[in-house]
Amino acid sequence: MALNNITLGQYYPADSVVHRMDPRVKILLLIAVIVAIFLAGNLLAFVPVIAFLVIVTKLSKVPVKMMLKGLKPLRLILILTFVLNLFFLQGETVLLDLGFAQIKRESLILAVHYSLRLVLLVLFSSILTLTTPPITLTDGLERLLSPLRVIHFPAHEMAMMMSIALRFIPTLMEEADKIMKAQTARGADFESGNLIARAKAMVPLLVPLFVSAFRRAGDLAMAMEARCYHGGEGRTRLRVLKCEKRDYIACAVVALLIAVVVLLGYIY
Amino acid sequence: MQVTLERVTHTYQPGSPFQATAIQDVNMTVREGEFLALIGHTGSGKSTLAQHINGLLKPTSGRVLLDGQDIHQKGFDKREVRKTVGLVFQYPEHQLFEETVFKDVGFGPKNLGLSEAEIKERVVEALQKVGLGDKEIMEKSPFELSGGQMRRVAMAGVLAMRPRILVLDEPAAGLDPQSREDMLQLISGLHKQGSTVVMISHSMDDVARFATRAVVMEHGTIAMEGTPEEIFRHAERLEGMGLDVPSVCKLGMKLRAMGLPCPEDVFREEQALPAMLTLWKEGKRHGAE
Amino acid sequence: MAEPIISVDHVSFSYDEGGPMAVRDVSLTIERGSFHAILGQNGSGKSTLAKLINGLYLPTEGHVTVCGMDTQDDGKTWEIRRRAGMVFQNPDNQLVATVVREDVAFGLENIGVPTAEMPARIDKALTDVGMLKFADRAPHLLSGGQKQRVAIAGVLAMAPEAIIFDESTAMLDPQGRREVMQAVKRLNKEQGITVLWITHFMEEAVECDFAHVMYQGQIVLSGTPREIFSDVERIRPYRLDAPPMARLAEQLRAQGMPLKEGILTVDEMAEEVARLCK
Repeated sequence: MALNNITLGQYYPADSVVHRMDPRVKILLLIAVIVAIFLAGNLLAFVPVIAFLVIVTKLSKVPVKMMLKGLKPLRLILILTFVLNLFFLQGETVLLDLGFAQIKRESLILAVHYSLRLVLLVLFSSILTLTTPPITLTDGLERLLSPLRVIHFPAHEMAMMMSIALRFIPTLMEEADKIMKAQTARGADFESGNLIARAKAMVPLLVPLFVSAFRRAGDLAMAMEARCYHGGEGRTRLRVLKCEKRDYIACAVVALLIAVVVLLGYIY
Repeated sequence: MQVTLERVTHTYQPGSPFQATAIQDVNMTVREGEFLALIGHTGSGKSTLAQHINGLLKPTSGRVLLDGQDIHQKGFDKREVRKTVGLVFQYPEHQLFEETVFKDVGFGPKNLGLSEAEIKERVVEALQKVGLGDKEIMEKSPFELSGGQMRRVAMAGVLAMRPRILVLDEPAAGLDPQSREDMLQLISGLHKQGSTVVMISHSMDDVARFATRAVVMEHGTIAMEGTPEEIFRHAERLEGMGLDVPSVCKLGMKLRAMGLPCPEDVFREEQALPAMLTLWKEGKRHGAE
Repeated sequence: MAEPIISVDHVSFSYDEGGPMAVRDVSLTIERGSFHAILGQNGSGKSTLAKLINGLYLPTEGHVTVCGMDTQDDGKTWEIRRRAGMVFQNPDNQLVATVVREDVAFGLENIGVPTAEMPARIDKALTDVGMLKFADRAPHLLSGGQKQRVAIAGVLAMAPEAIIFDESTAMLDPQGRREVMQAVKRLNKEQGITVLWITHFMEEAVECDFAHVMYQGQIVLSGTPREIFSDVERIRPYRLDAPPMARLAEQLRAQGMPLKEGILTVDEMAEEVARLCK
């Protein structure tokens, strides 16, 4: 009961144009925007990218706070990127002499550039995961990867595995919670001791969890067979992904964005 | 040994959008030597309540007292509670993990830091109590046993802690009639030998047969409390909560509705026989007059 | 007599070649539109029999025919499973998708139903089991009885002629059991779907048209619930629980009270007692 309500991934439910977009288009556009970010040759070229980010965030109705949460786990890397670039890149114009090191104009610009690039990459990816439920994302990936069947890439099987995993994670978490409590009631201690002691203490949790996962897998396989599941062949789908006007518009906007970014890189 | 819950409230995930209060301001005492039945719908809070009795869950507010001592107080040894109050979860066989039945049952005593000899003594004793004292079974993998046997091994794992109070969450769920009856007889036997028993149950016939007192939960609070006689006298109210009543109880209600003087305190099967015979003889006498 | 939809003809089955038989020489005929129960304790072979009917297991000996198709005919496997759907015991382990609606779609997708047809069939199936308002929920947030009704909808959407319930209420609380039983009875009455109900709950078997008792892999008793269960002595050897009212009636008769034969329910008992006492 305690774990009934865990959210998977970081999907933020809302009714917005970004939410309604075809997941395939969203995935492809994310890749395109990433390319644009790498193409940006100078700080000025980031301006349209940032503007685009602001507009998309606004359209998606995702609170800014939720967006920024995605950066939290990365803050150490961000600081490190900034500081290392600041001090170790070569440059000529000295802005500030700290005695033990110097901050140069060129290195400051590059440090900002690299850090900004990282921030933008994370934020744009967050938009995809915040506006697309994991299952739809899986669906989109399956369709995008399905041409690879020619080289025997199991796109359907991968997607089915993903969706079953998504379905069972809450169930297994609830089960883990219950087993942990049951063992605690028998005096097990999951919290104290050194690393080895703690790893050993996990055995009474992990063994029953695996046994249960296998039992569930067996049951599920039988239930799926009973419902005529026989692989991806000849299967139709409830949800058909369809590109609509908004998707085409989004594509055009991103194409334009890339053009502007490249252009700005040339001019300056 | 008694456990008292004092104004206990428990809220899951407080402060999050999924905040849910499972039990609210509950006052209850588990008395020495009683067989207490916890009754209620799924989601009425009875499982949450049960997990407070042995300190697995900590109240959001309120206190849990073991013989007058607050178990969540700083400096109180939690192991004392685990030793005194044994908790058997629903489908307890799902927590078995050791290579042999012996080792699995010995897990609890080992955690208590007992010597090999003491562990052995307790394991043998616990397995004998659940009717699996066979040497051969002890060396088997618990996963080779039948469903009913696995459940009894899991129960032995709790009994090996030698708890004075035994809390069971639907111990007979999912068992077939025969294994069900065996399990209930086993629990009733433990009670007769002096254990205090708290049992969550959906079967009112079982409550009628075994319990000395019952607590009915609804929406996280105690809706009714008393001896089975007192509870089942208000059978209509139980039905109103969507709960079952013992079939003998239903028969009595039906007969009274038909205008027959069936007494209200008839709810056990063995009480039905004399009650029906009395009705019949009375009827015959009236007919003769 | 109506035409048989399922016929089991001298079937035996063993999990391991040369191993003990889980089902021994069982014959059974189920007519279209009927509601049959198979009752037995754990290990009596009742679940194995269920899986033999739906082609999940193939008989070691004998034949199982569903809608005129032999389960051993490889080419007919999927058609048999579509026409004779199955609902299992554990509500958690038979739902595949993260949203109710999509789970109901799963079977339709597997048998290649055109996308345009799906929403209507899904809505209809969910309505039939009273779960339409949960269509967009995640299955793990539903109660056990609700999950089982979703599983039923998943089978129902595939337009089956029969549904086999393999202890589908064993893990539910009394309320969940009532919900599922009511939904199934309605499907049987209103849509004529043949039901094979496998259970160890006597109270449920009592509600069926016809019951079979399995013991050690064999069908040992067959008849209407009244014929079988009102005779407490007759079912005792098969380690089944007699209905409480049948037990009470037997004890009262032993004390000389002239109750009529065949009492199973509280209502029947009350009427009979009232008749004798007034």
